[in-house]
Amino acid sequence: MKLTRKELLVGGAAGAALGAAGIYELVDKLADSPPSRSAAGREPEQHLVDGLRVEKQEGVEVVVPLRHHQVVTAKVVVPQDQLREARADLAAVLTKLDSDYPATPDGLGITVAWGLPYFRTHVPDAADKHLPFDRRAKRGALIDAIRFPSDPDDTLLEDNDVAFLLRSDNEEHIRTAATEIFDRLEGALAMTSIRKGFAGQMDGGMGLPKEMATAAGVPGADLIPDGAELFLGFTSTQQNALGPPKIVNFETLGLVDLGPRSYFHGGTHMHLSHIFEDLEAWYLNQDFRDRVNTTFRPKMPVRPGTQTVAQPPSRVSSESEVRRDYDRFGIIGHSSSLQPASRLQDDIRGSDGTLYRKGTAIPQRADFNTLDNPFFWSADPKRDRMGEGPAAGLHFVVFNPTSDDFHRNRLAMDGHMPNGEKLRFAPRAAGQGFNSILKTTHRQNFLVPPRAHRSFPLVELT
Amino acid sequence: MVARTPPFTGYNVLLMLRVAGAGVLAALALVASACSGNESKPAAAAQTKPATCPQSWRAGWQRLANRIHATVYCPTWMPSPLDAKMGGQWDNGTSVEKDKSYLVSFLWHEPPSQDVHVNFRGYPGRMKIPRCEDTEVVGGIVRRTHMPCFSDPHGTRRLGDITATLYTVNRGVDQWHLLYAWRDHGSLYAVSEHVIKPLTYRRVSSNLDRLVRGLVAVKPTT
Repeated sequence: MKLTRKELLVGGAAGAALGAAGIYELVDKLADSPPSRSAAGREPEQHLVDGLRVEKQEGVEVVVPLRHHQVVTAKVVVPQDQLREARADLAAVLTKLDSDYPATPDGLGITVAWGLPYFRTHVPDAADKHLPFDRRAKRGALIDAIRFPSDPDDTLLEDNDVAFLLRSDNEEHIRTAATEIFDRLEGALAMTSIRKGFAGQMDGGMGLPKEMATAAGVPGADLIPDGAELFLGFTSTQQNALGPPKIVNFETLGLVDLGPRSYFHGGTHMHLSHIFEDLEAWYLNQDFRDRVNTTFRPKMPVRPGTQTVAQPPSRVSSESEVRRDYDRFGIIGHSSSLQPASRLQDDIRGSDGTLYRKGTAIPQRADFNTLDNPFFWSADPKRDRMGEGPAAGLHFVVFNPTSDDFHRNRLAMDGHMPNGEKLRFAPRAAGQGFNSILKTTHRQNFLVPPRAHRSFPLVELT
Repeated sequence: MVARTPPFTGYNVLLMLRVAGAGVLAALALVASACSGNESKPAAAAQTKPATCPQSWRAGWQRLANRIHATVYCPTWMPSPLDAKMGGQWDNGTSVEKDKSYLVSFLWHEPPSQDVHVNFRGYPGRMKIPRCEDTEVVGGIVRRTHMPCFSDPHGTRRLGDITATLYTVNRGVDQWHLLYAWRDHGSLYAVSEHVIKPLTYRRVSSNLDRLVRGLVAVKPTT
C-alpha cells in the first residue's frame, strides 16, 4: 500500500505547521523511551548540548545523537525602528525556554544562528566593525555559501536571516518552543521553512531510520541495515570523529580575529544544507565493500556487516595517503578525503587552555536524517521545489570555526585537497565518496553568536 | 507587519500513524496484489503450479537446453506483462557464451524510465559466482576492476524445490536487480528482476520468490 499525495499532506498555515509533528510523531511511537539525563548549567556556546550519552557500539565510543531535530528559518520583517523591541521579545522568550528546559537531551537544545542577509540589511555598520574575520582565509568568518563541484547546478543558495535549530529527545519540547518563539515574534519574523528529522539511537531492533523510512515507503528502505544510526547504514557520531566541545568556537584555534570588542567570543559558524540520499542506488549498486570504500577508505579492513567503524586520531589519513588511494584505486573515501582538512595537522593549545592533539576532529556535526521533500513546510513551495510525499535525505548541520573552514572540508570531499591539489573526478563520480548518491538541494552559512548575543545580534550597538 | 501564511505541506500524522500501525496489513496487501491480477497467461490460466514448462514457452527453453547440453530452468509464472516465450513480444535476447553459460532476458519498457526486466542465467559445469569487469574513467585514466557479479547476500531461502541465495548488489545486465542464485548438479543458475518503477523492492522480492518457486527443470533431449 503506497501513501497517496492526499494522505501525506494536510492543509494549514505556517503556525499549524510549527505545531505539527507530521510523520515525525512516529519517532516516539517507534523508539524506546529516552533515558533521563541530568541537567547542567548554560554555557556561552549555543551549539553545545549538555549530558550527551557516550556508549560503546561494536567496541567504539559513540556519542548518542538526539532523537528529534527541527530547523526553522525565517526572514526579519520587523521595521528597522522596531528592531530593539523585537530583540527584547526574542531574548525574553529564549530566556523563558532556558528556564523551562535544561540544555540536555531530555530538555531542549536551542541554537539561534544568523545569516549574512540579516547583518547586511539590518545592522550593516555594526557588522562591518564586529563580524569576526578569518585570518587564514583573509575574509569574513561568515561568507556566502557556495555550490561545490559535486553539487547540482540548481542547488539553491539561500538567503534566510535567521535559523533556529531545536534538538531534543522529546519532540513536544521542540514543538512548544518553536510555537512560543514564533507566536512571540509574530510580525517580526516571517517563517521561510520548517525542516524536521531524527537520528537513530542504536538502541536495538530495526532502528529509527529504517523504521521511519519503511513506514514512509521510501525506495530502498528495506535495504537499510537493522539498527543503523542513519539511512546510509554507518554510525557517524563516533566520539573521535566529532570535535571536542569548544574547538569550533571562533577564538579557540586562533583562526579568527574577533574585532575590537570580541563581541562574538564564544560563538561559532554553522552550515545548513539539505541533501537527498538515493538509498536504492546506495544499497543496490554498491556492495558492503564498496560502501566501506566510499564511506571510509579503500581497502580499509572492516568486518562485513559492521556499522560502527573506529576513526581514531592515530588512523587519520594524510593528504599523501588520499592521493595514493586515488592513484591506486581511483577512489577516495569520504572520511579519509575529509581528514586532511577536518583534523588538526599538529598539536594546538587552544585559547581555552586545552591541548588539542594532532588528528583531533574539528567540525561538530549535528546532521540528522529526514523524510522532508526537501522541507517539512516551505513559505515558497515553488522556489524550494517542494515534492510530493516523503523522500530520504539528510539535513546537514555542522559547526566549524569559519565558513572557509567548512568550505575547505567540503571541497576535500570533492577531491580538492588542502594543499591546493585537485584530484580529478567527474561530478558525483562513484570514486568520490558518497557524492554519487547525494543531491544537495539547499545551502546556507550562518553565524552562531554566543548566548548573550543570540537575539538580533548587534542591534543594541546601532 | 505579519508574515503571510502559505499553504502547509506537511504530512498527515494520523494517516501516517494509521499506515504504520497497519504495516503488516499493508505488507500483506502488497504481497496479495503481487500475487493476483498481475499474472502472465500460462500461470493465470492454471490455478495450481504446472508441473512442466508452459506449452507456449517450452519450445524455446528446450532448444536452449539442447543447445548447451545442460539443464535449464523454465519459469511457470512471469511478472506482468512479461511472458517467457523466446521470440515472443517481450523477448530481450538470448545469448550463449563459448563456455555454454547463457543469458535469457525479457523486458517491458515504458519510456522514459519504467521497466519490467527479468534475466535468467545458467553456468553449466560451474559453481563459482562469475567475476564482472567494471570500467571507469578517473582523471583521464581508464580503470578496470574485477568483482563478483553477484554480491551482498541477504540470506538463503527454500523456494519450492530450489534453495537459493538472494543477492542485492549485482553487476552487468543484472545491475539494479535483485537476484536469486542457486546451485544444482554442479552448475550455477540465477534469475533476477530489475528494481525500477513501477515496481518496488518489496514487489520485486515477492515476484522473484514466486518466480523461483515455479521454476521447472528442462533437460536436454539431444
